[in-house]
This record gives sequence, structure tokens and C-alpha cells, in this order.
Amino acid sequence: MNKTLITLAAATLFSHSVLATTELPDKQAELPAHPKTEKSDHLVPRDLSTIPNTPFGDKVKQGYSLFVNTQTLQGKYVNNQQNCVNCHMQAGMKADSAPLWGAFMAYPAYRSKNDKVNTYAERIQGCFTYSMNGTPPPKDSPELVALSAYSYWLAMGGLLDKYDMQDTPIPELSDAAIQLGGNDESFILPAEMMQDLPAGKRGKLAGRSFPKLDKPEQVPSIERGEIVYNTTCASCHGANGEGIRDHGVQSFPPLWGKDSFNWGAGMHRVNTAAFFIYENMPLGKSIQITKQEAWDVAAFMNSHERPQDPRFTGDLKANQEKYHNHQGYYGKTVNGKVLGEHSY
Amino acid sequence: MWKTTIPKTINNTDNNKKKSLKIKQYCGANMSLIKIVTGYIGLGALLLSASSAFAAPIPPSATVCTSCHMPTGMGLPNMAPMIAGKNAEYLTRQIDLFIAGERSDPLMTPMAGLISDPKKKAEAINYFASLSAPEIKNPEHRGDHAIIEDPARKLVYQGDWNRNIPACSTCHGASGIGVQDFPRLANQHPDYLEEQLKAWKNKTRSGDHNDVMGSIARQLTDTEITQLSHYFATVK
Repeated sequence: MNKTLITLAAATLFSHSVLATTELPDKQAELPAHPKTEKSDHLVPRDLSTIPNTPFGDKVKQGYSLFVNTQTLQGKYVNNQQNCVNCHMQAGMKADSAPLWGAFMAYPAYRSKNDKVNTYAERIQGCFTYSMNGTPPPKDSPELVALSAYSYWLAMGGLLDKYDMQDTPIPELSDAAIQLGGNDESFILPAEMMQDLPAGKRGKLAGRSFPKLDKPEQVPSIERGEIVYNTTCASCHGANGEGIRDHGVQSFPPLWGKDSFNWGAGMHRVNTAAFFIYENMPLGKSIQITKQEAWDVAAFMNSHERPQDPRFTGDLKANQEKYHNHQGYYGKTVNGKVLGEHSY
Repeated sequence: MWKTTIPKTINNTDNNKKKSLKIKQYCGANMSLIKIVTGYIGLGALLLSASSAFAAPIPPSATVCTSCHMPTGMGLPNMAPMIAGKNAEYLTRQIDLFIAGERSDPLMTPMAGLISDPKKKAEAINYFASLSAPEIKNPEHRGDHAIIEDPARKLVYQGDWNRNIPACSTCHGASGIGVQDFPRLANQHPDYLEEQLKAWKNKTRSGDHNDVMGSIARQLTDTEITQLSHYFATVK
């Protein structure tokens, strides 16, 4: 299943210097939206201070560091001003914030859309192509192994503790196993868990992805969203969505423009952004604005230009029809301009 | 006498009482507030003569500030915070909050009124904003270390999300160096940090965006507040 990976990584190397000539898979498919679940059902990863001082533990620690400060890969694999932790709060541990433990246990996953089984590492590569507007680290690279190791460590610790196995150390797996993901037949769980979590059915852990919001009472409005943005969001994300950069560090993420995620990232979808915003913003407070306001401000945020969809090959309409049959503004006219025509 | 001269808007908490006592000791007993203020201006003028040692001359409007915040902007322990190099937008907002009575302090409330004139205010603020704060040689960024044992440092770089507390450095920057109008905490006097965190916690300070700082401070224990204050005060 991984044969295409090397060719894929090589192909994406050129994705933002020239127009992509090789078709990229749609790796940021819409996250399955679940109803909100009880906090007590969520996995709670072990404390970071329990990461062992072993070569495997070092990979986990490196994964944590890369996840929180992804800008250390700027110019290598990252081509915008984002960090993974911007959208996955608490360093990828927080339930209802697309936690890494939920994603790790959901891969490998069969996707009927491209008739292909995607591994966990391939899913992370997708994040680099789209959310980081960059070039994915290749399979078996220290970075991809580290991010996979960290995700595995969060998931396994959370599962062991949930099943009252607090004293059981987290097994140290091979690079191949952690890049494959926790949903594979070869990923053996303790007997106590196997009944609840058979291979192939581990993708629906409570707290995974972002909880679904009810459909808005009114159609999301860019105009109303702008008011919400200026009142609530602009103090951290800037008057023009540029975020805040100081002392050479992008402390608050850009929400649109050249330094933001591109038109292929999951967050450009109005529904995904609304789910995320409602549940997680403002930082340190969580739920504050109304559900309607979350829909409106998500529409406002995603009605601005951002880096081009890497799958774009020169025909905006064709790209829109092929990959953008969802709630987004790519290819649509806003304020007299077609979004995607003036992408970065 | 001191107590009779406290403006009504001042929240007379224990901390403020302690502070008034310190001010009294600092300025000499039985001075009225006006006397204290004029005393400060006099002292400021006196210190003005020392200004030749500094790159920028002290503008007259800033002399009301220098007796406590010092011509260097480094402040004085148990008296006034370091404001050297602080973001001008942040300083302006704080002066405005003092003037509006939304933030109060027995000394700063009347002092802020002395620079309420927009030109004077801008002049004084730009002076302090232009001063250098101590250099942080190796700033620690969020994500640098997975394993952090010290509880305060852990809060600074990892937060405690069981209580919805994000890492302090998310907004206040590497080593608390400040991010635009999210103020610098690094090398601040620990008594000031502690007093302010408690003020946020007890809702005697407000005025931030979305009440984010207030929400976070209300989750902190008093022990954590002391530990955090010490951590930022001594960061190098």
C-alpha cells in the first residue's frame, strides 16, 4: 500500500514552485463530524514527563517539539507561518480539537474516493502539503517518524489508562508500525481492549476530530462574520487576518493571506472552521460565541485569498469541480473577485 | 491624611493598603497625596539631571513617571513595575484604564491623570517604550522541551488544559518576552506580577480582550501565582 508514497513525496517536492503536474490525492478529506461526547469518555494521554529516556522516547519528544514549534521546519517542509498546534490544541492532546490520538487510531483507513488505503504517515504528509502549504517529509524521515511516534505515544497511554492499566509501560514499536497507524490488523492491543476496539473499527474514539455543530438557523453570512471577527478575533489574529508576529516568532497564526493554510487544507471548509472555532476559541476560554456567530465568522475567514490549492493545474473551474464540492468559497465570487484567481 | 485622600474609585484591597504603607514609608509619613505627587515630580526633576547618561533625553511629561519607574524604566521592587521597552499600545491602554477607573492603584490612578493630555501621554509612553529591557540571551520557546519538572515552567510552556489554561508563552512569547500588546513578563518585579495576577483573579483588574487573562488567572492557585511570578522575574 505504500509503494506510491515515494513517488508521491517526490512529486510534491515541486508542488509550490511550479504548477503541480502530478495529481495529488485528496488527503484532507472532510473530517467525519461526530456529535459532541462526554468528557469522561475521552482519552487522556499520559503526562509528557513520563516519556521514557530511550531512543524511542527521544522520537516521541522530537515529535512533540515539531508539533508545537513546526516552524523549525520552515523552508524545508513548511512554507507558511503555521504550527500544527494552532489547530490541534494542547499539543494535539485535547479532545474535540482533532487530537492526534484520535487520528492515529483511525489509520490506516480505506478511502473509497481514491480507492486507496492511506496510512497514518500519509495523513500527516497531507497536513504538510495543505495545512503547512509545504512539502511533506518523506516516509521514514526522522520528522515523519517522530510525529508518528508522538501520536502513537499519546494514543497508547490514553488507552492503557482508560483500561486501568496505568502501570503498563507504553510498548516501543518499530518505525514501520507507527507510520502505519493504530487501525491495522498488525497493531495488537491488549486483550481487554480488543473486543471494544477491533482493527478497522478504531476510527471513532469519543472526542475525535471537532464536534459537529447544528446547521445554522440562517445561511452563514460573510458580512455578519466580519462584525464577529472585528469584535472578538482581530485582537489576536490581526485586522487583516495576518496574526501577530514579534521577536521573529509568529505567535498568533495568520488566518488567511500568503502565510496561512492553503486552499486544499481542511480548515478552508466553512463547516470545519465553524466546528473548530465554536469549540476552541478564544484560546483559554473555549466556547464563547454563539453557534450562528461561529458559522458566520468561519464564512468571513474563509472568504479571503490564501495560498493556491496544490492540486490546481491551471484551470480553476476544473479544480473547483473536482475537489471543492463542499462548503467553501474556492472558485466563488466574493466582492467582485473570484477566489482562487489571485492566490498566493 | 492618606486615607482621606484616596479617591473613591480606588479599590481599597489589602494589597493596596500594604502599598500605601510602602509609599508612605518611601515618601515620608503624613504627606498628603498632592504632596506625594508634587514630591514625585520634584524627585523626577532631580533625576532628570541624570538623564545625560541615557541615549534619549527624558521628555518633561515623563518626569512624573521616573521617580517610581526610574529614568531607566526599570521600576522599583514593591513600588513600580518595569516599563522599559514595553509595547506603546499596551502602555497607552493601561494609562487609559487607570484614567477611566477600570484599573486602579492608590498611586497610579492619580498619576495617570497627570498625563491624560494625549500629547503628554504619547510623549511619556514613547520615551519608556524606546528604552531597552534586559536582553534574554537564550529565549525558551514553546515546544523546546517535552519534559519539564518545575511546575511554574510547565505552566509557562505547556499550560494545564484540564483547567483550560494555555501555556503563558503562547501569548506572552518565548521566555515571556512579550508579543506586541501582550505585555512582557520577563524580568518584571515579582511582587508586581503576583499582585497583578491576584487582581485579575479577584476581578479587581480587567480590560483585556475577551477577558482571556481574567479567565486564566481565576484558574490559578495562589501558590501557582507566586511560583509563576518568581519564574518570570528571574528568567534570563
